[in-house]
Amino acid sequence: MMHFNYIIAMLLITLGLYCLVLKRNLIKLIIGLAILTDGIHMFLISLGYRMEGIAAIVTDEMTSVPSNFAARAVDPVPQALVLTSIVINVCILALALSLSIYAYRYYGTLELEKIRRFKE
Amino acid sequence: MIPHAPILAIFLPLFAAFLMPIIGILSRKRGVNHAREWVAIAAVLAELVIVGSMLSEVLSGQIILYKLGNWDPPWGIALVIDGLGLFAALIVSGISALIVGYSFVSMEKDTGLDQYYTLLMLMLAGMMGVVLTGDVFNLYVFFEIMSIAAYALVAFRRNWQSIEAGLKYLIIGSLGTSFIILGVAFLYGLAGSLNIAHLAQNLPFLPATTLILPLGLFVIGLGIKIAMVPLHMWMPDAYQAAPPPVAALFSGATATVGLYAMLRVVYMLFGAFGIGAMLAGLGLVTMVLGALMALVQRDLKRLLAYSSISQIGYVLAGVGLGTTLGIQGGLFHLLNNAIYKTMLFMIAGTVVYRVGTSNMDKLGGLWKNMPVTGALFGVGALAISGVPPLNGFASKWTIYMAGVEAGQGGHWPGYAITVIALITSALTLAYFLKAFSNIFLGQRPGHLADVKESPRSMMFPIMLLGVLCVVFGILPQIGIDLVRPAQEALMNSGGYISAGLGGM
Repeated sequence: MMHFNYIIAMLLITLGLYCLVLKRNLIKLIIGLAILTDGIHMFLISLGYRMEGIAAIVTDEMTSVPSNFAARAVDPVPQALVLTSIVINVCILALALSLSIYAYRYYGTLELEKIRRFKE
Repeated sequence: MIPHAPILAIFLPLFAAFLMPIIGILSRKRGVNHAREWVAIAAVLAELVIVGSMLSEVLSGQIILYKLGNWDPPWGIALVIDGLGLFAALIVSGISALIVGYSFVSMEKDTGLDQYYTLLMLMLAGMMGVVLTGDVFNLYVFFEIMSIAAYALVAFRRNWQSIEAGLKYLIIGSLGTSFIILGVAFLYGLAGSLNIAHLAQNLPFLPATTLILPLGLFVIGLGIKIAMVPLHMWMPDAYQAAPPPVAALFSGATATVGLYAMLRVVYMLFGAFGIGAMLAGLGLVTMVLGALMALVQRDLKRLLAYSSISQIGYVLAGVGLGTTLGIQGGLFHLLNNAIYKTMLFMIAGTVVYRVGTSNMDKLGGLWKNMPVTGALFGVGALAISGVPPLNGFASKWTIYMAGVEAGQGGHWPGYAITVIALITSALTLAYFLKAFSNIFLGQRPGHLADVKESPRSMMFPIMLLGVLCVVFGILPQIGIDLVRPAQEALMNSGGYISAGLGGM
């Protein structure tokens, strides 16, 4: 039960990688990218989570008994990291989707086999 | 050092980036021409001054520690500038300054230049962040800032090539950065810290088997970013489709930043000099395959892209040896590659600017029209092929010597590096001679009869780089002296750890 979240995170990462490697549709690739990063976020946030932990916010409790507070608070660093990473990935997804719109205009399809005009 | 120089070096381009659209709107209202171009040039020159002002401290052997918000490391985020970081920062800011000057005329026919300069400045901010930061998550964030700006710049012209190349780069590049963040997550889980110096101090106490996964993730992620074979598929398309100044910036500055991150993470963070042999092996494959692919290209920009891949192989082979001479040669080659590869891409840009195509089948006999451009292309081509007395020879010679030295020390693959590097140099010369004769010699198609010499403002940065090629070739000692602080910093992780933790 304790490691349930890690298992889910690894499943999501595997699913995202599977999608990126084997799917041949642009939208599915972008979905794969989103799932992959969500898995990574899940993993990252699990690292700092503790059962029935409290938020690491400056309160009276924190200042009065610091050691007690430290024993119960969750680790705030991974949360900050995930927040940053979510913002970055929103940017990437927005850019990817807007480029897909252009690709659809030029090629009339989102199948990767047909979006390939560069000569090797 | 200018007070607060480390953070200014990141903030200045970031601030300039968000200023660009406002300047664009204001200048259109007031009818001022080229306002954003001049602001961009001022910003990159100021950037160069800021980075240069840190030179005296770092050259005297100091490692600058700049605590953001005055939080002590390892709790706060710190910028740590040692010889290696400043070396990369100098290359990045120098190349960027030339690129912005070059863009002035090169991009004048494009629309949406507000966005172009915004993205260029954002990319510069990201690159400076990567090379100056002392925090591994910060490294990831700045890498992403750089990459997102790069994806958008590749797709900037929005024709089918740039859209296709941009999408390919975006998907593969994001996969790479996902691997990097996953590696960061594993490191945080294992060691509970994000500060590079603190991690470097603590990782040796962890069981080595647990470190293989994060190290592998970092190597794959950064390998995608530097286009190490077999992770190079995105690169030729991206370089071919990007506007010429952007391609020049990629080959000069972005490749340097990627290699810097690779060295910082693998050698200093993990202290894994052991996998240098693997890097050297991959470097050899990269070098040969890049050169072989370049031989068959019909498009100048695509040829240069494959040649970039090949040159990155040289750097990897040099630094992968892990010896003093090898790292010196690899880093010197990194500097030289930034110089002549930027120069060659700029020349490709001037040809496209004057003729409108970089397809070598449709070019020919341009020597009569553009003799100066042709001569400079010749200098760049000879330099990259390692012909004395140009700078490519100096750094390649150092790598050959390092290979022989390793071979004599009982590591027979050292000889293999020297032999394969020599053969690849011959291949390089072959494909550049082919490119030169296709573009500048031979029959001139009739419609190219009245092509003019490249514009002077585009020639200036190219000439500057050409002069550097010759100077570093005739006086290689200058280059070696420039590289030595970086090499010493790379091999002195103990000094980095104690300085990065504020002398703890």
